[in-house]
Amino acid sequence: MATTRAILVDITKCIGCRSCEQACKQIHGFPMGSETKLSPTAFTVVEERGDRFVRRMCMHCQDPACASACLVGALKKTAAGPVTYDGAKCIGCRYCLVACPFSVPRYQWSKLVPYVTKCDLCAARQAKGQPPACVEACPVQASIAGDRDDILEEAQRRILNDPKYVKHIYGSDEVGGTSVFFISDVPFEKLGFVAVPKQPMPILTANALGDGPTVILVGGALLSGLYWITERRAQVALAEAQEKSAKGRG
Amino acid sequence: MTTLRKTATSGTTTGMTAARVTALEKTAAAFSKISFWRTVVAMIFAAGLYSMYARFALGFQAATNLTDPQPWGLWVGLGTLCGVGLSAGGFAIATAVYILGQERYRPILRTSVLISFLGYCTVCVGMLYELGIPWRIWHPIVMWNRHSVLFEVSWCVMLYTTVLALEFSPALVEKIPWTRARELYLRWHHSILIALVLAGTLLSSMHQSFLGGLYLITKGKLDPLWYTPYLTTMFYLSAIPAGLAVTMMAIYLCVRSLNARVDMNILSDVSRVIAPLLAIYGVFRAVDLISRDATQYLWMWREATLLFWLEIALLVVVPLVLLNLQKVRNTPLYLYWTSAVIVAGFMTNRLNVSITALQANSAVYYVPKWTEFAATLATIVAAIVAFRYAVIYLDILPKNPPRERWMVPSTPAQA
Repeated sequence: MATTRAILVDITKCIGCRSCEQACKQIHGFPMGSETKLSPTAFTVVEERGDRFVRRMCMHCQDPACASACLVGALKKTAAGPVTYDGAKCIGCRYCLVACPFSVPRYQWSKLVPYVTKCDLCAARQAKGQPPACVEACPVQASIAGDRDDILEEAQRRILNDPKYVKHIYGSDEVGGTSVFFISDVPFEKLGFVAVPKQPMPILTANALGDGPTVILVGGALLSGLYWITERRAQVALAEAQEKSAKGRG
Repeated sequence: MTTLRKTATSGTTTGMTAARVTALEKTAAAFSKISFWRTVVAMIFAAGLYSMYARFALGFQAATNLTDPQPWGLWVGLGTLCGVGLSAGGFAIATAVYILGQERYRPILRTSVLISFLGYCTVCVGMLYELGIPWRIWHPIVMWNRHSVLFEVSWCVMLYTTVLALEFSPALVEKIPWTRARELYLRWHHSILIALVLAGTLLSSMHQSFLGGLYLITKGKLDPLWYTPYLTTMFYLSAIPAGLAVTMMAIYLCVRSLNARVDMNILSDVSRVIAPLLAIYGVFRAVDLISRDATQYLWMWREATLLFWLEIALLVVVPLVLLNLQKVRNTPLYLYWTSAVIVAGFMTNRLNVSITALQANSAVYYVPKWTEFAATLATIVAAIVAFRYAVIYLDILPKNPPRERWMVPSTPAQA
């Protein structure tokens, strides 16, 4: 198995040139021009937060809520890192949009045959050994890509060696870990990062789903038992009535 | 309108030709059929037709106000969550009669199964509106993701709709004129009936709760007044009384307007079951809020809290107070309105979970487009119309003699 790929975004380095946005649009063939929010034609955007620039994109969770939510398995976490989307399976229920803790997936509301859209970490390019287009385009290496373990190590090294950094790697333990990491010198909540649960989101539904078989077994046994009692009562009542009528006649 | 024709033909001595009279009388008969409710239904259907056009020919953007932060709106909240929940009466009554041997509910068994069946049909039709690519609605049958709550829900709904169709089928098969085929089918049906009811109870219990389970993954997005690991239990506990309330309303309307002959005492019996169920639900909600330390949100001045209290008032407090009054328990009309309050409370709850309680997080204020209302309303009204004709033409409820009563109003309509 190949190594798991990941991206590190160093917010202290970003100069807000939007080269990543443009590179992303270019390789996907989207109309050029800057957008302020993620959209079906913008898989990554650079947001201005005070005097910092924050790049938004799919976090590529290790255990993604969207993939667990998708009833037909159109969304998948691949071994190489990216969370990919198979449009041919999608039925358009949009449960992934509901489930995503980072509110990343976008829907093509204006189309008659709409699909879900989001960043796929340039899975096809990475398979060929190329870095994601956005990372390649970054002139100041504010975004870097690599093996997930190496990337985490690098992030760790940076925040330990330089006191300006907030002592947290956003994505290291958020929803059980992601494949896109952010480090910053400004507290994350001030930059619009959402506070998400630390455990993987699918655990939340797995517990309930795990109850399913129990419900069937215990419930089935209980109902069968109750039905047996009901039937038995009816039989006894019938027999008693017959006995009574037999006595009455005799 | 046979009465009209009779009165008209008896007075044809004025020299008018018979043909002319027939034409006049036909027009009169046609106009006399335009009642207030028929006009309303026609208008709803017209609006529904436009919504259908908007959704399928123009797309989501033309037909809905849905956006990325609010990807599920009225069609899920009202069409699916309320549709499935309010159709819980069928499995509740079937379980009571067949499994628990509560024979006194048998007279309303068919009605409740019919309501559920039609309810699930509206849910399935609604699903076609809801899905972005509706012709792929069969995908979950072959593409499985066992980790998805929605996958389990889709399978349960699919199977349970089949169960309901089978449970209800004798009402249709009875009307088949070929004795042999009819007897054969009914005998087969009798032999699998208990299995059907058992499967129905299990499937219903599963997906009624899993509909709540859908929102377990929205931790951090859903308002703490509603988000609880016990969302599944909450949905299950509230669906049964709400489903029974719908059954009560339907029975009352059948007796009032469709000449059905039902002992109204059965409504009091059902209400005596509903009251403790609502009380259990209320206690469960309270215990849950306290144990999660969420009571601080109960007294905040904000929209979500107001909606929470509206929901609790309509679903728990008002019905419990009303059902505690003997006069209400013994008066069909009062029971009808109490049921209406329960249904309203239930709908408030489901719409809160699916829309309003997610609103603060989504930062957009979602108000459904009129076409969203019209599409759902038209589907529900279609189900009500189907219900009406089923009660009229099939043996759903015992009817007052003489049998053909509904074809002719009891007092001849003087147009």
